[in-house]
Amino acid sequence: MNAAIDNHWYPVAMISGIDAPRETLLLGKKISLGRDGGACWVKDATGTELPTVERFGHLWTSPGQPNRDLFTIPEADSPGRRLVDVGSVKVKCSPLRAVENFLDIAHFPFVHTDILGAEPHTEVDRYDVKIREEVDEVWATKVKFYQPQAAKSAAGGITTEYMYRVPAPTCSVLYKTCPPRPGEWDIITLFVQPLTDEWCEVWPWMALYDDDSTMSEMVSFQQLIFMQDRSILENQLPRKLPLDPGMEVPTQADMTSVAYRRWLKKIGYTYGAQLVAA
Amino acid sequence: MILYDYVLSASCYKVRLMAALLGTPLTLRAVNFHPGREHKSPEMLALNPKGTLPILTDGDTVLTDSADILRHLTADHPEWRSTDDDRWLAFASALNASLGLARLHDVIGYDADIDKARAAGVAALRTLEAHLTEQRFDGLIFLTGSKPTIADIACFPNIALAPDGGVSLDPYPSVRLWMRAIRSLPGFIEMPGIHRLHELAHPV
Amino acid sequence: MDWIAVGLKEDVPPGFVIPSRIADTELAVWCSPSGTYHAWSDRCPHRGMRLSHGFVRGETLACIYHGWQYNEAGSCHYIPAHPKLTPPDTICVPTYRCIEAGGVIWVSLTETDTPLPALGGRRTVRSLPVSMSAPDLAAHFGAAGFTTIAVVSDHDVLLAVQPCTDGECMIHALAAPDADRSAVSHWLEDLRATLERVPA
Repeated sequence: MNAAIDNHWYPVAMISGIDAPRETLLLGKKISLGRDGGACWVKDATGTELPTVERFGHLWTSPGQPNRDLFTIPEADSPGRRLVDVGSVKVKCSPLRAVENFLDIAHFPFVHTDILGAEPHTEVDRYDVKIREEVDEVWATKVKFYQPQAAKSAAGGITTEYMYRVPAPTCSVLYKTCPPRPGEWDIITLFVQPLTDEWCEVWPWMALYDDDSTMSEMVSFQQLIFMQDRSILENQLPRKLPLDPGMEVPTQADMTSVAYRRWLKKIGYTYGAQLVAA
Repeated sequence: MILYDYVLSASCYKVRLMAALLGTPLTLRAVNFHPGREHKSPEMLALNPKGTLPILTDGDTVLTDSADILRHLTADHPEWRSTDDDRWLAFASALNASLGLARLHDVIGYDADIDKARAAGVAALRTLEAHLTEQRFDGLIFLTGSKPTIADIACFPNIALAPDGGVSLDPYPSVRLWMRAIRSLPGFIEMPGIHRLHELAHPV
Repeated sequence: MDWIAVGLKEDVPPGFVIPSRIADTELAVWCSPSGTYHAWSDRCPHRGMRLSHGFVRGETLACIYHGWQYNEAGSCHYIPAHPKLTPPDTICVPTYRCIEAGGVIWVSLTETDTPLPALGGRRTVRSLPVSMSAPDLAAHFGAAGFTTIAVVSDHDVLLAVQPCTDGECMIHALAAPDADRSAVSHWLEDLRATLERVPA
């Protein structure tokens, strides 16, 4: 039992995908989940019911006693957005590596070539990062990057503005320039279920303004992007995320990941982290 | 021609890749295979009672087997055909139950005897490596000769995506050179898990 | 451990990078466009990505994740996210001794005065993985070590053995210059089948 790890909310299923009861892993321990009539339930290995929250199309639970409610994304409730259940992909890497990759833009030209980035537009300008103490979240703002096809709804290359938010250790929310509606933000999230400290199930979810694409097209686009990342994530050494400086070399473009690692250390979130240089 | 397509499907990628290499335009219809199981929807079952992807429609013709689709696309392209193709099209089909299944298991949680699927995948890789090595002794790089055919395109996706299912490609040098030759073809397109060659882009 | 074969020259042409390993040391082995072979730690110092997934551009090896380029000494010389920055000398990849001789790429993880193994004028045939440890394979042939093992056969075969894991090794096979390579390849497949039937 480690309160700093157990007292968080974790995604464990897409609500629309729950039919028969099933087992999964959370933080290396077996849990079961299902639905009785309208309400979803989650139980630990001893059959004890765990707390649940149904939000963002997903079922969330906690093996501990969360000392605050699951975060909210008020912008996602505004009318006209389409809510996209992307489904899940399993990845053999630390859940923290999966989140950190989501916070990174410098890989776009090489991993998401001609979609989220392309040479020679590789430069990452300075942006703002801070740990917002009042809400205990990591935020990066004024992140700008040239993108050949920023979204399914984008017609051509644009300089996209991003804001990244880390509201929980294994979750991130991206607010991104919305091609059809300048002035609004598309919302793309990465909810990561730590199966173990080196294996995770990733549940992307989106709230987009896009009146033209089919739901299947939007799902495909996001799965394409995440599967490009998966081949990176399964080949980083070590699989765990090093929190101590020295093991890996950040640059100015990595300010978000530096802040994320610092914040994880501050709140004592060590599941999936490597603390001593191997 | 309309391809009912799933972006992460190795078999759909065979069709997209073949069309791209031929310069044949395809209209893509995204099908939400995962998590939506849209390939089992009444509309899709009406088109293909087997409930599988890919599906290619060309006028009134509906094709649901990827080997048939490759033959259809290359009907007027004899340079993409060899008399040895059939053996490798069958080999490619069998990969769905080994490397392909291991990948679906590891990525989206399909039920599988994973050890058995991976072992069959390793056996297939050894067969392919032995054949491609023999080809190289004769100065040939592709499965049936010095030029690629539908045999290469059919085998390439599940082989190149083997690491997605936990099967390493590290010990197969001839397979690696063959994959590189395919990735170097004019008009090549990638899919997630298969990076394009960045070697020549924008030298600094 | 002195020189270990990690691949064959014809399998790693100029502009190519491959993953390899010597026991627990994972390697990116690459050949520059000018034909020089390198064996590096298979890990980009930036975010730990395997460099063997990267690409050779000019006389550099670049990481696939963020495109960081490393020159032939293993020092980072270009970071695409910061094109105007001259990277500090401290960003470098551990490198190992690597020499191509006789068509075989040899690596030593430590400084060594040991001469490269003699190949007796044989030519390379192919590499293949065997589900058996390198020491067990040497023991099977009654050889003192596994760096090279001469095998009495019709083809005058020499096996250069690369230890990979406890249950896997790679055999890099050479044979008499006039040997039929296809015949040797079949002989190797049969040898592997025999070796893998030996109970551990």
